[in-house]
Amino acid sequence: MAHAISRRFGSKRLLALGFFVLAAIYLFATRPAPLQAEQASGRTVPVETVFRVVAAENDVARKLWTADIVGAGAKVGLKFHEKWREPAMQAGPLPALFLREASMALQKTRTPLGLFLGSDFPIAQSNKFSGIQADHFARLRQSGEPQFFNATDIGRFTAIFPDRAVAPGCVSCHNEHPNSPKTDWKLGDILGATTWSYPKERVSLEELVQIVGALRASFGAAYDAYLAKVASFPNPPEIGERWPAEGYFIPSKRVFLAEFERRASANTVERLLLSLAEAKAASLSAER
Amino acid sequence: MDKDPGSKRERFIKRAAYVIGTLVVLAGLALAYIPQSSRFAAKGPANTGHEKLACTDCHKEAPGTLRQQLQAKVRYDLGLRETNPAFGHDRVSNEQCMDCHAREQDAHPTHRFLEPRFKEARDQLGAESCVSCHHEHKGVRVTMAPTSCKTCHQDLALKNDPLDVSHRELIAKAQWTTCLGCHDYHGNHKRLTQQKLEDAYATKSILNYLAGGPSPYGHDLKFPTQWGAK
Repeated sequence: MAHAISRRFGSKRLLALGFFVLAAIYLFATRPAPLQAEQASGRTVPVETVFRVVAAENDVARKLWTADIVGAGAKVGLKFHEKWREPAMQAGPLPALFLREASMALQKTRTPLGLFLGSDFPIAQSNKFSGIQADHFARLRQSGEPQFFNATDIGRFTAIFPDRAVAPGCVSCHNEHPNSPKTDWKLGDILGATTWSYPKERVSLEELVQIVGALRASFGAAYDAYLAKVASFPNPPEIGERWPAEGYFIPSKRVFLAEFERRASANTVERLLLSLAEAKAASLSAER
Repeated sequence: MDKDPGSKRERFIKRAAYVIGTLVVLAGLALAYIPQSSRFAAKGPANTGHEKLACTDCHKEAPGTLRQQLQAKVRYDLGLRETNPAFGHDRVSNEQCMDCHAREQDAHPTHRFLEPRFKEARDQLGAESCVSCHHEHKGVRVTMAPTSCKTCHQDLALKNDPLDVSHRELIAKAQWTTCLGCHDYHGNHKRLTQQKLEDAYATKSILNYLAGGPSPYGHDLKFPTQWGAK
């Protein structure tokens, strides 16, 4: 029988067929378990939701730093400077540089969330928007609303959120800085925008919570960097429970983050609960 | 006694083929199983400071078994899977570099180039990836051309230029080799930036440094990194 089959089809063809059958079993058999894909599974939310959550968190951190540390601190003799990292400089980071510290720290958490600050009238030329970002920022400046787009060349979903002059210090610094290309800013103006990016279109709820955790850790790391600098001052302010509004004091990291959480958490929890409902609805709709 | 010289010659060729084949297989097994032999599999000499690294410090095994990886690859090729899985080893990414070179501050952090507007820097230099400028297995420190600053800084305009010869003038004259004479790319050296062009480090010493020679910027780092990596 086998001899007859071999004669009818030819042994080479049979060998080739056998090879393909074995290869198909090897490549497509369900065992072992297929290699896990990187896509989010389970209940997911669109990345736009993630961007809205982190942007709101950042707004709180930025206002806290700008008004309560930099603004109030300047009145009691604390210094803040763009070259604050220079060893001889006894100063802390200006708000834009505090954000950059947080952005650097965020990268170290290995969370692929990108955070950048830019403008159409930046003090540092290297922060000037161009290309696709400039186009979306022009729309943001007109509408005052965040813009969402897919930066396909880098495989990143992207959002830009308005960055407003939230404290008098923002206005005076941007108007008086010798390298500022625009000197008539007013309180509440859109000074620029924060750009956020993430490589996935949908994100699991667990991942969303991890992202928020990583961002908060990054604000903490940025504050740590300031505390480390303060420790090098010949006449450092007292670090503890009190704030610059009360005198030559700065809050400890615990106190700073507790205040941040007090201001930010209600909104974030509400958004997370809404995300949970949104993810549940999306999951049910997919099941139907 | 064999009288046919043709068959004698044939037997010799066969034996030689067996010996060569066995040696090739043994060499392959040695490369696969003897860790020290992996150096011979490298594409070239390690870059400056990486001489003592093991291959596996950077080349991490890809997740999954060989069969899982093959299955995932085929599924990807057939459009049944969205991500292209790694096979054998993961691609070396910035993460492996950051395991040793992470520092608190960086004047040109790679992640910054993932901002959409830095398209030119990505397209022309691949500045979002460490290995674009530090191409490994070349036996040098930096593989990027020392004139690459022109990709992003053509429009540099300083209202208050601290240099005695203005930056605009240097750019107009396309003197891009002078940039690194005053500025170190990652900005991690404890030093004051020169304010006179005549004090800038000579192009020759910069090129020598990029090729693996001594640092003209000194050895005092602002943020010493893991294992003393520069």
